[in-house]
Amino acid sequence: MTLDPIKPAFDPVTWAIPVFVITIVGEIILGRLGKVKANYEARDTATSLLMGLGSTIAGALLAGSIALVSIWIWENHRLLDIPMTAWWAWLAIFFLEDATYYWFHRIAHERRFWWASHVNHHSSQHYNLATALRQTWTGGVAGTWLLWLPLALIGFPPAMIAIQKGISLVYQYWIHTEAIRRMPRWFEAVFNTPSHHRVHHARNARYLDANYAGILIIWDRMFGTFIPEDEAEPPRYGLVKNLGDFNILRVAFHEWIGIGKDLMSARSPRDVIGYLFGPPGWSPDGSRETSATLKARWRERQAAAEADPAPPMAAE
Amino acid sequence: MNGMVIQLLGSAVAVAAMVALAAWARIPRPTPPLDAEAVRRLLAIDYPDNLLEDIWIAADGAGAIVRSGPRALVLSRLGDSWVTRDIAWEAALAAPIRGGRVRLKLADPSAPRLSLAVSGVNPWPPQGDLELAA
Ligand SMILES: [Zn+2]
Ligand SMILES: [Zn+2]
Repeated sequence: MTLDPIKPAFDPVTWAIPVFVITIVGEIILGRLGKVKANYEARDTATSLLMGLGSTIAGALLAGSIALVSIWIWENHRLLDIPMTAWWAWLAIFFLEDATYYWFHRIAHERRFWWASHVNHHSSQHYNLATALRQTWTGGVAGTWLLWLPLALIGFPPAMIAIQKGISLVYQYWIHTEAIRRMPRWFEAVFNTPSHHRVHHARNARYLDANYAGILIIWDRMFGTFIPEDEAEPPRYGLVKNLGDFNILRVAFHEWIGIGKDLMSARSPRDVIGYLFGPPGWSPDGSRETSATLKARWRERQAAAEADPAPPMAAE
Repeated sequence: MNGMVIQLLGSAVAVAAMVALAAWARIPRPTPPLDAEAVRRLLAIDYPDNLLEDIWIAADGAGAIVRSGPRALVLSRLGDSWVTRDIAWEAALAAPIRGGRVRLKLADPSAPRLSLAVSGVNPWPPQGDLELAA
């Protein structure tokens, strides 16, 4: 068997599109029949699906040049010759790609420049299979694809990297649902699941900046970003500051516009760096909320509630 | 190229069908018109440390403006969900009313405008309480 190392033999995402449609239809109908927990709001659904459609167009526009960089590195600078037909090569790329995804995703949340691209995936206040398709339009511009280049440098064929990235994206689709409460214990221990990823999409202070996993949750457990879903506190989905309307241009570009506005008001190189690469919500005087300040305040309230079990705000 | 256009058209049709199905299914979260109790509960999520003073509820029950010291906390329904922001109380008082809605401008690209329904019985700014306008 031969596999083209440059041109992927297949694109997992293209193959999965019919499955996306069938399962979304299924989730809506089962939700309607009251068989599973599923909330859909038509305009929110439209926004998610149009973002998904738009991202395939934006992706196609840049995919060629991004692929060329990966191919160039692999053809001219690869350190090892990795055969695409070896089982161990697929096993290796499964782990290495997933670790890459974890770090991509963590940076995409913790640094504003990359958050500006990723934020749209979190902009829905819903969590259903349509939300999974709310994908970025500006990932190519944000340059997060650079993080996958080391795989080509090691010697993984570009087609192999592309296929594994596709597999990861398809895997992450099915976990965007409230219909599944918990998977078996062993599965929850190793894999990213609906429960883990609900926490990731939650705007509750206690759940912020957690569960960056792609396929395997082990990276979060290893690097200290794992937070389990607490039955006592259901996730509320969306952004810390939710969008004011369903305009898809706002979804795609609002954080970039925010960065632009802030840069115009920057008064020092420190401001510029902070606004671009600080955590989302960074401001020169610390007057805006960041995940860290929100979490700190939540912890204070928790401590206060524990010290005095019946203050009026104890529940939140 | 042709193949891509066909794929795009196919996807657009699928998107329209799924949105139509979602609309038909009518399974959004329930959002009954707001009362003071609901306003307090919803604002406590995003403003847990704020003291809520005067609560004004929009004529259609789909939003509220609440004074909290020098700030106005704004609650506005979007679909079956809620959006909150805070602006200077003075700015909220001065917000213009057009087309039966008080139009709040926010210096925030993620929600540059929020508008809430007003009516004769429920005007903005709230009447009869001169303290509010002070
Ligand atoms: Zn994320
Ligand atoms: Zn997600």
